[in-house]
Amino acid sequence: MPLGTLDQSPPPFFKQGTSALSKLLVLSALAILLMVVDAKLHWAAPVRHALGVAISPLQWLALQPLHLLRWSGQYLGSLEAAQQEAALARAELVRQAERAAIVEHLAQENRELRTLLGLRARQAPTGRAAQILYQLADPYSHRAVIDLGSQDGVQPGSPVMDGFGVLGQVTRVHLTQSEVRLLIDPQQAIPVINTRTGQRSLAFGLPPSADQSLLELRFEPSRTEAAVGDLLTTSGIDGVYPPGLPVAQIVSVSAAGSDPSGFARVEAAPLAHMHHALHVLVLTPVGRPGVGSSAPAPGATP
Amino acid sequence: MIMRAGQALLLPANPWFIWGSLLGTLLLGMVLQVALLGRAPWMPDLLALTLVFWCVYQPRRIGVGTAFTLGLLIDVHHGALLGQHALAYSVMCYFAVVLHRRLLWFDLQKQAAHLLLLFLLAHALQWLARALAGDPWPGWTMLLAPVLQAALWPLATLLLLAPQRRAHDRDDDRPI
Repeated sequence: MPLGTLDQSPPPFFKQGTSALSKLLVLSALAILLMVVDAKLHWAAPVRHALGVAISPLQWLALQPLHLLRWSGQYLGSLEAAQQEAALARAELVRQAERAAIVEHLAQENRELRTLLGLRARQAPTGRAAQILYQLADPYSHRAVIDLGSQDGVQPGSPVMDGFGVLGQVTRVHLTQSEVRLLIDPQQAIPVINTRTGQRSLAFGLPPSADQSLLELRFEPSRTEAAVGDLLTTSGIDGVYPPGLPVAQIVSVSAAGSDPSGFARVEAAPLAHMHHALHVLVLTPVGRPGVGSSAPAPGATP
Repeated sequence: MIMRAGQALLLPANPWFIWGSLLGTLLLGMVLQVALLGRAPWMPDLLALTLVFWCVYQPRRIGVGTAFTLGLLIDVHHGALLGQHALAYSVMCYFAVVLHRRLLWFDLQKQAAHLLLLFLLAHALQWLARALAGDPWPGWTMLLAPVLQAALWPLATLLLLAPQRRAHDRDDDRPI
């Protein structure tokens, strides 16, 4: 027994059990094995699922204050705020309706032109509404958890967007929840097209030492045509993201030839609300001939 | 039994309280992270603090095995590399068990200084594992976490030892 406690039973003299050192050696070897299996071989999914089931009651309990908070916020939110929001929504609807009329007309025209040229018809992406539950605490990445999982038919690799633009991509699917890697994660890449110039490029998250809320366009030639204010949308060449979803707006372009690497430094601010999004849409990956939507390419690896 | 001068004689620890406090801090950490803060690299790891506390005060009940199991659960909850917290907690608790006879001879500030090294070691191990797996350095605010954990040690001692500091036989007339 430890120092200075009143205990009736004396500690065993000879039967001390396995020593702490041997336990440490065995268990740290096991931990290192698990890490290698998880990081390099990707076999650890069953272990992760089993432990996830074991910890899910605690997670459920921990989420209750959050649900209560959101529910009470909705319930007790003032009438005035609700009316203001409704007025704003109506104004937005009128603005959108005007645009939608043009879009209908253009879609009709596009269909006819596509049949004329014999091109493959574009499918409209189908989406499912989900809620962001929380951001993962892991300081090495930017990921969030949504309340749809494999039992709701979420596939790994599905694009996720909020009302303003692309938010990220589903990277790991559990039974009732999924993990979404946000676009600002340094390991996440998204192919984009500049809607003004038609230039295609790849947008990456910036490393944590730099500004955390921006994307970076890599491999831009130093005499790039990109200008501040240009809108970037998904280009659709990756077979994961449907084309035409808004992604980001360029906020800074370095002067030509200022960077010794020979590439221009172009930074863009994502349109989606990375840290405050609550309601999101999980789209099905588009898939393209030869790749197949059943095994979507993990867009995280460029 | 050799004791430090002025050290209180404690009641035996209740196993229910030990396990309850471990699960309680696990849950508290989840609630703080899920509902209030989200991703905060400076957030002190309360579970690590409680684990080290029990490894120091009850090394025959809580040791490397418990640390490993709870570390795996945290790995799954954080979506981190599987085994990252398990390794860090195992090593941290091993040194806590090794230190436990020596540590209680110091006062609380010096105990916290000893434990700061342990917490730094645990974070360094996690960083090493993630760096080998290819993740970038998450920023200097992460170094605040072990310092805050060490700073919370006196509070943890106060709260977690409170049930053992009650009188052995309760007597309303005696002023203890």
